[in-house]
Amino acid sequence: MMAEGTQPTPTTDGYQVRLPIFEGPLDLLLYLIKKKKVDIHDIPIAVITGEYLDYLGRKEHINLDGEAEFLLMAALLIYIKSQMLLPREQALGAEEVPERDPAARLADYQRIKAVSAVLREKEEEMAQVWKRTALTAALPEADLDLIEVSLFDLAESFFTLMKRKQDEGRRVVKGREVSMSEKMSEIIAVLKERAFLDFLEYLDSQETLEEALIAFFCLLELIKARLVVAIQEQLFHTIKVWLRKDAPAAANGES
Amino acid sequence: MENLTSIIEALIFISVEPLTAAKIKEVLAEVTEEEIAAAIRDLTARYDSGDGAIRVIQTAGGYVFSTKPTFDPHIRRLLQIERKKKLSPPSLETLSAVAYHQPVTQSEVSAIRGVDSTSSLHTLLENKLIKIVGRKDAPGRPLVYRTTDKFLTYFGLNSLEDLPSEEELKKLMQEENA
Repeated sequence: MMAEGTQPTPTTDGYQVRLPIFEGPLDLLLYLIKKKKVDIHDIPIAVITGEYLDYLGRKEHINLDGEAEFLLMAALLIYIKSQMLLPREQALGAEEVPERDPAARLADYQRIKAVSAVLREKEEEMAQVWKRTALTAALPEADLDLIEVSLFDLAESFFTLMKRKQDEGRRVVKGREVSMSEKMSEIIAVLKERAFLDFLEYLDSQETLEEALIAFFCLLELIKARLVVAIQEQLFHTIKVWLRKDAPAAANGES
Repeated sequence: MENLTSIIEALIFISVEPLTAAKIKEVLAEVTEEEIAAAIRDLTARYDSGDGAIRVIQTAGGYVFSTKPTFDPHIRRLLQIERKKKLSPPSLETLSAVAYHQPVTQSEVSAIRGVDSTSSLHTLLENKLIKIVGRKDAPGRPLVYRTTDKFLTYFGLNSLEDLPSEEELKKLMQEENA
C-alpha cells in the first residue's frame, strides 16, 4: 500500500491518558485491550474519566470533533468493562438477535477508520488529477448547484458596477447612439459566439453609461423573453448569462 | 496492428466517462479482446513514457484521459475553482463502512460507526457515491446501499478489489499504533 511517512489520523492527538500502567492516547489503550496486551481489569476507568473531566474544565477552547471521539472511545471502554464485570445472561430464544460483541464492534470500527484514512489519501491524490468531465461539469447542463439569479441580484450587481464607474470619474461626452433592438442583436451575437457572457464584465466594457444602461435593460428583456438565462454558479461568484438551449430559433433580437 | 492503438486513443479521447474494453470491442467487432488489451497497454505505456501532461488511467473498469498532478494549480485557475471539495470526516467514515460491508442497511452502518448515519447516507446518495440497490428481506424491509461507479472514479479505483484487503488493513492499523 501507499503508506507514506505521514501518519494519517492522530485522532485524539490532544488528550493523553496517564496511568501507572499506560500512557498515551485512548484509542491506543483500546487497541491494546483488544489485543489482550493490557488487561482491562487493571484499568481504572473512574480515574481516566475523572482526569479527563478535569482536563476539559481547564480547557478554554474545545474541539468538539476531537472530544466526541474521546467520548465514544471512553463509552466503549466502559461498556467493555461492564460486560466483563456483570454476570452474563443466558441467551433467550434462538430468534433473538445477539447483541454485537463490543470487542468485535471495536475492531470493526477501527477497521473503518483505517479504511477512511486510506480513502482520504486517495481522495487527495485524485484531487490533483483532472479528467475531461471537469470541463463539462463547469457547464450549466450538468447538475451543478446553479443558482438562477433574480432581478434583484442583477440590479444590485449593476448598481455596484455603476458606483464603481462613477468613482473612476470616467466621462465620455457623447457616445454612439444605440437602440435597444440593436443592442439586443449584439448581445445575442456575442452569446452565439462565446457560449456565455460575464454579466458585469460585459456591462463594464460598454463605452458609456448610457450604453451600459441600455445593455442592462436589454439583458433584462432577454431574460424576461426567456431567450437567455442568468446564472450564478456559486454564491458570491460572478453572474453568467447563457443563451437558452431551448430558446426560440428566432432569437434575432426583435424588440 | 499499429493503427488499432490510435483508434482506441481516439475512442477514449471523445469519451467523457471511462470507456470499457467491452465498449471498445463493440466498436471494433473484428478485433480480438487480446489485441484490444495489448493496444491499450501500448497506449498507456506511450503516454506514461513521455513527459506530456496527459495520461491514460484505468478507473471504474474503463479508461479515461486525465492530466498529471503537476498541472493542478493551472487547471484550477482556468476553471476558477479554489480547491476541490473534500468529503467531511463523517461522510468518509460512512462511505468506508458502506464500501466494506455492502450491501448494507442504514442501521447496520450506524451500528458499525456507533452513531446514527442517516444524514451521512443522504449526503452520499446526493453526491451519487452510493446508491440504493433494493430492500432487505428483514423486518421493516430496510433499504440496502451499495457504492457506485462514481465512488470508484472519485478515489481513482478500478474496482472494489482495489480497496485495501483485510491483511493490508491490519498492517496499517499496526503501523498506526506502533
